[in-house]
Amino acid sequence: MYPDELVRTAGEELPSPRVPKKKKVSVQERKEHLIAFLFILPPIVGFLIFTALSVVFTFVYSFQGYNSLSGISENVGFANYIDLFTHVTRAPLFGKAIVNTIVLLLSVPFSMILGLILAGLLRLGEIKGSKFFQVLYYVPAVSSAVALNIVWNYIFRSNGVFNTLLGLDVIWLDGDVTIKVAIIFKNSLNAMGGAMILYLAGMLNVPKDLYEASSLDGAGKVRQFFSITLPLISPVTFYLLITGVIGGLQSYADAQVFAAGNTGATTIVYFIWQQGIQGNNNQGLASAASVLLAVLIMIVTLIQFKFSNKWVYEE
Amino acid sequence: MMSVIHDTTLSPVKKVGRIFLRVLIYALLVLGAALIVFPFVWMVLGSFKTPLDANSAEFRFLPVEWVTNNYTDLFTNTNFPIIKAFFNTVIVEVSVIVVGTFVSALAAFSFAKLKLQHKTFWLLFLMSGMMVPYAALMLPQFRAFQSMNMFDTLWPLILPGFFGNVSMIFFLVQYMRGIPNAILEAARIDGAGHFTSFVCVMFPLVKTAIAAQVIFWFIGIWNDYFAPSIYLITPDRMTLQALLGSLNPAQNRQYLPMALAGAVLSSIPMFVIYLSCQKFFIESLAISGVKG
Repeated sequence: MYPDELVRTAGEELPSPRVPKKKKVSVQERKEHLIAFLFILPPIVGFLIFTALSVVFTFVYSFQGYNSLSGISENVGFANYIDLFTHVTRAPLFGKAIVNTIVLLLSVPFSMILGLILAGLLRLGEIKGSKFFQVLYYVPAVSSAVALNIVWNYIFRSNGVFNTLLGLDVIWLDGDVTIKVAIIFKNSLNAMGGAMILYLAGMLNVPKDLYEASSLDGAGKVRQFFSITLPLISPVTFYLLITGVIGGLQSYADAQVFAAGNTGATTIVYFIWQQGIQGNNNQGLASAASVLLAVLIMIVTLIQFKFSNKWVYEE
Repeated sequence: MMSVIHDTTLSPVKKVGRIFLRVLIYALLVLGAALIVFPFVWMVLGSFKTPLDANSAEFRFLPVEWVTNNYTDLFTNTNFPIIKAFFNTVIVEVSVIVVGTFVSALAAFSFAKLKLQHKTFWLLFLMSGMMVPYAALMLPQFRAFQSMNMFDTLWPLILPGFFGNVSMIFFLVQYMRGIPNAILEAARIDGAGHFTSFVCVMFPLVKTAIAAQVIFWFIGIWNDYFAPSIYLITPDRMTLQALLGSLNPAQNRQYLPMALAGAVLSSIPMFVIYLSCQKFFIESLAISGVKG
């Protein structure tokens, strides 16, 4: 869905650019314009206050530093941005937070692969209880992240049920690498249901005659999957990838609740929270990190808008 | 392509192979289902253990002794007042959803059916906010709410909701475009103003679409953790998720069974809603991906 498309589907005729609109606007029409605008005013005011103004202030803060001697904020130029990457005492963990956030994004492709396999199994086996499995697999997606993180933390304890059932002796929660593995594991599992449902819907949309035609040409199941199904459901893949990455870049509860601040799993948003809210005295630094995160997410979103029709199959 | 199993022209050997394949598929699906269900089973089992039992170095699957005081403690312990947290959550839910839904639906009506000038611009304007992460808005909002003495109150969670929900607006714009103009014209001829035709004609027609969006929004608010955890510090003022977060057993192991009991209790309303509206959840989700 694209914004211009959204507008164009209005069913109204677009005014032809060549015909100049010299028609006189009636009083009644002007009244409708006004009322129509009043109806959209609350969301616009909300946007201006809670988004536009907030973004501007975040941007301004990112160039400010708090001077503890004078007790006022002062302009520090790009110092906060530079400190994020270079300052050992002010921002020791920002680089780590970026690496952690990106590594933890691995759960996105994993959940997509699991979802694709599950959807394929449901289709291939013509499973009767398909709806049952869909409802069940989607349960974690509607559950509270805090509740899930509390129980997954319990599961991954050294003497916990995960190690016991698999006969392992891994210290999941304290290691720098193992905690990432644990988070990727649980997040892949929690997100695979959504991926499965979307892939299944995508597969049902593939025209049947394509399969029939290719069977006549002697293509096997595997060949059909890779040369028909997979390319035709690429919009779903793209959608899952983008929404997964955008969500993953804003991950917070995993670092806060599941990892309880373990530096092996601190994320960018956790870093922002720590510097700006928890410590409450590094708001300039936190704002600089927020601006970088916002830019990153905007780039991903714009990629979605710009390239979605080039990369993926559409009718 | 998919009718391999019911193909009657297959030889008996092949048929056995197909049945074997189907059993294997079921086995894999059940295994996946078990992985999904297990954390919830573990949550319930742990909530009936004593702190000593749950944290014991020796692994036990079932509680040594089934105790219910993790639940009763939540109802009586003033540090973790789950009843208050429940009502705080409901206050946020009801006020945001009642006002926010009305505001969103009214705006959607204007975008879909009224002669609004610069329609595309305003739509894109609102939409652009969807790509800004909350983390980039959080600090100025936090400072502003602090300076208005709204820190540690529910207002920072409620006020932004009063201005509507952009994703709900977009969904409803598309839906309302499907409503024939003739119906609205008829109301207009009868002398109804724009507001009246929204309330009396459009609203009843799009009730189900609105209900769908309301349920998604309801669950989003119910499970929201980030903002509540930032703004709320007094247990009596917390929402359910903030309270659960404050019980985090990764920081204090003694709380583990009580936190699990809290997780169970706070999940029950969600499960009831999800299971009673499951069909519609799955369908709405499937549509969102296919349309992309």
